[in-house]
Amino acid sequence: MVEHIGAGLAALGVIGPGIGIGILAGMSSNAIGRNPDAAGQIRGLAIILAGFAEGLGVLAIVVGLLALFLK
Amino acid sequence: MTSAPGTTPETNQTDSSASDGGLPEPEAKTRARGIPFRFLIPAVIGLDILAVLLVPPFPAGGSPGQACGYPACWITSVIEFPPPAVVVDLQPATAPASTPMLYFHPSISSTILTMWIVMVLLLLMAFVATRRMKVVPGGLQNAVEWAYEFGRDFAVGIGGEAAKRYYPVFAGFFLFILFSNWSGLVPPIGKIEQLRAPTSDVNITIGLALTSFVLFEGEGFRRLGVRGYLGKFFPLGEFRQGIGAGLLAMYVGIIELFLEFVKPVTLSMRLFGNIYGGEVALAVISALTLAVIPVALYGLEALLNLIQALIFSVLTLMFILIAIEGHASEEHAAEGVAGTTARLEPVSAGNQEAAAA
Repeated sequence: MVEHIGAGLAALGVIGPGIGIGILAGMSSNAIGRNPDAAGQIRGLAIILAGFAEGLGVLAIVVGLLALFLK
Repeated sequence: MTSAPGTTPETNQTDSSASDGGLPEPEAKTRARGIPFRFLIPAVIGLDILAVLLVPPFPAGGSPGQACGYPACWITSVIEFPPPAVVVDLQPATAPASTPMLYFHPSISSTILTMWIVMVLLLLMAFVATRRMKVVPGGLQNAVEWAYEFGRDFAVGIGGEAAKRYYPVFAGFFLFILFSNWSGLVPPIGKIEQLRAPTSDVNITIGLALTSFVLFEGEGFRRLGVRGYLGKFFPLGEFRQGIGAGLLAMYVGIIELFLEFVKPVTLSMRLFGNIYGGEVALAVISALTLAVIPVALYGLEALLNLIQALIFSVLTLMFILIAIEGHASEEHAAEGVAGTTARLEPVSAGNQEAAAA
């Protein structure tokens, strides 16, 4: 029972990457608006950086899985 | 067919030759292209509903025919837990009763089986593409050469000129992880118990991360020597500039040493979590809403699998390049990652000038 609460609390850690990717999206849209010629490079960089931030959110999910399955 | 006054001579030609049987193709093309989407989509939805009515889901571990309520039991009948299902048990005597998440027991699991299939397919493609190579390539060899050059430009854009030497490592990791990830989306592989995407298994991603770790540590030791490489973490030379500077450098060095061991952990957990989490999300959505809505998640999963494969291989390449840099030129490595795209611009401008001249 307590492990379910623990897993639920661990899943709250996905808020962090959500905010991070939101900030990334806003700033990269800003940068493309200021400099439309660099749109290709900014788009490529933004996709890779979003993947990094996503990975950290996944670490939170893995902690929740560990709480549920390690007895 | 009557020809209206405004028809082009081409349709008149097909009229006359259709009666001869000479050019049946334009008519056949319009007929074959003519299965419209408005028939296909309800057909697929009808097929899904028919499948659920004929073969209703049963509780996991039970037999077909047991009762299964709509949200909870449908979902738990499809979800698979992190440890993979065992296909062939190599030591049946000492099998653990209930499998925890990490255990040491030699067996061939469903993920290992799929990994072998992916490996065989990749090696087969490499063998077929490089057999009897011609100087002017055509067909599969052309496609593989284009992919090779595209990947090499990308790796050099990320890491600079030194990345050319480690491009095979980058490409190897990228191709293997990409096709392993995407194999989880091919229809039988997620749902049969005997086949499962290789990278959705913690054991396989930890193995990949350990391989990457040995690679970049090994390259660092080989290039800088044991004392040079350890000197990056324990800079004893800083003590010459005073005790305070020495202690600060040692503190930073210990944090960097800790980060070195965090790198394979994050590599493996990022890949495992993304792929396994994607599988679970897809299973849940497909169990709840049978058709149409899972297609959007399917496309998102395909994109995310590609990005995760790219990130694993880009990070491995960057760790190798950072590990072989000397202590003095560490700033160049850090700036190279962010600024190489800017560095590409003068090169292309120079090429244009040279071509125009």
